[in-house]
Amino acid sequence: MIEKMMNTRLFHWVDERTQLGSIIKSQLTEYPVPKNFNYMWNFGSLALLVLVLQIVTGIFLVMYYKPSAELTYGGYTVAFDSVERIMRDINFGWLIRYMHAVGASAFFVVVYMHIGRGLYYGSYKGPRELLWIIGVVILLIMQGAAFFGYLLPWGQMSFWGATVITNLFGALPVIGEYLQQLLRGGFAVGDPTLNRFFSLHYLFPLLLAAIVGGHIHALHVVHSNNPEGIDIDQEKETIPFHPYYTVKDALGVGVFLLGYCYFVFFNPEAWGYFIEVDNFVPANNLQTPAHIAPVWYLTPWYTILRTFENKLIGVLMMGGSLAILFVLPFLDRSKVRSARYRPVFRQMVILFFVSVVVLGYCGHSAPSATLKIVGAIATSVYFGFFLLLPFVHKFEKTKPLPEGI
Amino acid sequence: MKEVMMKSMRLSLIAGLLLMLAPAMASASGGGALKHTEITFDNETLRKGLTVFTDVCMGCHAAKYLTYRNLMAYPELGLSREEVDELRGDKGLLEGLITELSPEDATESYGKVPPDLSVITRARRGGGNYIYSLLTGYESDPHGKVEDGNYNAYYPGNRIAMPDPLAWFEHDESETADLEEQARAVSSFLTFIGDPHQLERQRIGIWVMGFLVLLTFVLWLLKREVWKDVKH
Ligand code: HEC
Ligand code: HEM
Repeated sequence: MIEKMMNTRLFHWVDERTQLGSIIKSQLTEYPVPKNFNYMWNFGSLALLVLVLQIVTGIFLVMYYKPSAELTYGGYTVAFDSVERIMRDINFGWLIRYMHAVGASAFFVVVYMHIGRGLYYGSYKGPRELLWIIGVVILLIMQGAAFFGYLLPWGQMSFWGATVITNLFGALPVIGEYLQQLLRGGFAVGDPTLNRFFSLHYLFPLLLAAIVGGHIHALHVVHSNNPEGIDIDQEKETIPFHPYYTVKDALGVGVFLLGYCYFVFFNPEAWGYFIEVDNFVPANNLQTPAHIAPVWYLTPWYTILRTFENKLIGVLMMGGSLAILFVLPFLDRSKVRSARYRPVFRQMVILFFVSVVVLGYCGHSAPSATLKIVGAIATSVYFGFFLLLPFVHKFEKTKPLPEGI
Repeated sequence: MKEVMMKSMRLSLIAGLLLMLAPAMASASGGGALKHTEITFDNETLRKGLTVFTDVCMGCHAAKYLTYRNLMAYPELGLSREEVDELRGDKGLLEGLITELSPEDATESYGKVPPDLSVITRARRGGGNYIYSLLTGYESDPHGKVEDGNYNAYYPGNRIAMPDPLAWFEHDESETADLEEQARAVSSFLTFIGDPHQLERQRIGIWVMGFLVLLTFVLWLLKREVWKDVKH
C-alpha cells in the first residue's frame, strides 16, 4: 500500500521538495527495530494515541467551556455550568467530556507502564540517557497539564486540590510566597487562578506534542532497547518498523480501546477514581471537604509529601522524588541493562514498583496512623532504590548475557 | 524467567486494582451501611419520581440543569407538551426547574440553603441509595440528643436541617409501602437527571464494544499473519 502511494505523481512532486520518501523509508519502512519486543513495548505508541485523543477532545471542549468562577444560581459557577451544558445540551458533549476525563487517567496508565518498562529493562542506560531524560520532562509536563485541567470544572476537589498544591509553593524559602501568588494570580485560589490554569492547560499539551517529537527523534538516533538489554546487530537482528510493528501496535490499540471504551461508556467516573465524587459539589471556599486527595495518578507523590511533618521538607522530598529520575542513568553503574540478567536489581525494581503502588494507595485514602507508617516505609523503599543503585554493580553477580536475540 | 517483567507488572497491577477496589466498595456504602433500593429508569418510575420532585422537593430544592424542555426531549421521561405547559405555568421552556423558595427565606427557616439536586446523586457517595436512605432515615435519636424530625440515621453527623419531606417519621404501617415507593421513584429520577444521557451512552457503548472486539480480533489475525515468518 505504501509502495503504491509512493509511486504516484503527486508523491513524487512532494518528495522532490521535501524528501518525504526518504523520511518514510528511514523512519518507517526501513527503520530497524529489534525483533524480540514483548508487549511492554506497546505503551509508547499508546501514549502517543492518548495524547492525540486528549488534544482533539480538548479542542472541542474549549469551544463550549467557559473559564469563569463567577457565581450563578444555586451556588454553582459559570465554569461548572458550562461543563454541565457540555454534558447535557451539546450533541455528544457527554462523549467528548468523558473521553477527555477518562483519557487523562488512561494517559497516566500507559505512561506509567511505559516508564516501568524502561526501568525494568534498563532502557535509561547509555546510550539512551537523553532519551530517558526527555521522557522525565514529558512526565512532569503531563502531571502539570492534568493538574491544571482538574481545576477547570471548578468542583470542590478542583478548588481544594489547587489550594493545597499552590500552598506548597508558599513553603519554599524567599521566593515561595511570590511564586504562590504568581500561580494563583492573587492571595487565594479564585477566578484569576482559573483563567491562568486554563491558559496553561491549553499550552502544556501542545508543548508535550513538541517534546514528544524530540523524544521520538532521540529514539530513532540511538534505537530501541530490547528485553534482553543487549546491543544487537542492526542488520540481522532487526525487522522494519512497518509492517511488523505497525500491525503489532495496532493490535495494542485495539486492546487498549476495549479498556478505554469500557470506562468511557459504562463507568466514566471509575468508582470515583477518574472523576471524584466531591467534584460534583460546586467549589466553595468556605467549606473544606473532609478529605482532600488528588486524582489517583498524583497520589504517590502526595503521600511522599504528607510523610514529612515539616512542610518544606515534604515539598523538597516530593520534588526530589521526581527530580531524581533525571539522574537515574548516572546512578546506575552496571554494564548490564536488562533486569533479566541482574538478579539483585530485579528484586529492587520490583520492590520499587510495589512501593509506588502502595504510595498511591496511601495518598488516595483518608489519613490514618497506620497508613502514615505504611507511607513512610514505602517512601523509604522509593528513595532506597535510588540510594542503593550506585553500589549494586559492586556486588551483583549478573547472569551471562546471550549472544544475540 | 523471561516473563518476570510481565509478572511483576501484573503483580503491581493486580495489587493496585485490589487496593483500588477496596475503598471503592467501602465508599459505595458511605460510612454507615446505606439501605439498598432498586434504581430503575422505566417511564412509570421516572414520571412518579418527577411528580414527587415537583410536588414535594421543589418546595425547597431546585434542579436547575433540568429544563422544562428536557422533560419532553429526554425519551425516558417523554412528557407531552400539554403536561409540560401545565407544570411550568408562566415559566419559559428553557428555564430550569427552580424553586420558589429564595435562599434568604430558606436560611431564615432552616438555617441552610437546600442544595440544588441536579447532580446530587453524583455528588454523594452511594448515589441513589443515599437519597433513598436519607428520605426513609428519619427516626428518633437513640441518644435522645437531636429532636425528632431533625434526626436522620444516614445524614453525616445525623442532625439534618431538612424537615422530613415524605413525613416518614410519623407514618403508620399501612403507608410504608407507598412511601418507600415514592422514595425509590424520586431517587431513581434524581439518578437519571444526574446524567441524563446515561442510557443512550450505554446503548451506544454496547455497539462500540462489539465493534472493538471484532476489530481487535481481526488485528490479532493480521498480526499473526504478518509475523508468521519472524523467528523470535
Ligand atoms: C421544607 C424544605 C425541604 C423540602 C420539601 C425538601 N428538602 Fe431536601 N433539604 C432541605 C434542606 C434545608 C437541606 C439542607 C440539609 C442540611 O444540610 O442539613 C436539604 C438537603 C437535602 C439533601 C442533601 C443532603 C446532604 O447529604 O447534604 C438531599 C439529597 C435532599 N435534601 C433531598 C430532598 C428530596 C429528594 C426531597 C423531596 C422528596 C427534599 N429534599 C425535600 C430542605 C427541604
Ligand atoms: C496532556 C493532555 C491533557 C490532559 C492530561 C488533560 C487533563 C484534563 C483533566 C484531568 C481535566 C478535568 C476533567 C474533568 O473532571 O472533567 C481536563 C479538563 C479540560 N481540558 Fe484537558 N487535558 C489534556 C489536554 C487538553 C487540551 C489540549 C485541551 C484544549 C485544547 C484541553 C481542554 C480542556 C477543557 C476545556 C477542560 C474542561 C472541561 C472538563 O472539565 O471536562 N485539555 N483536562
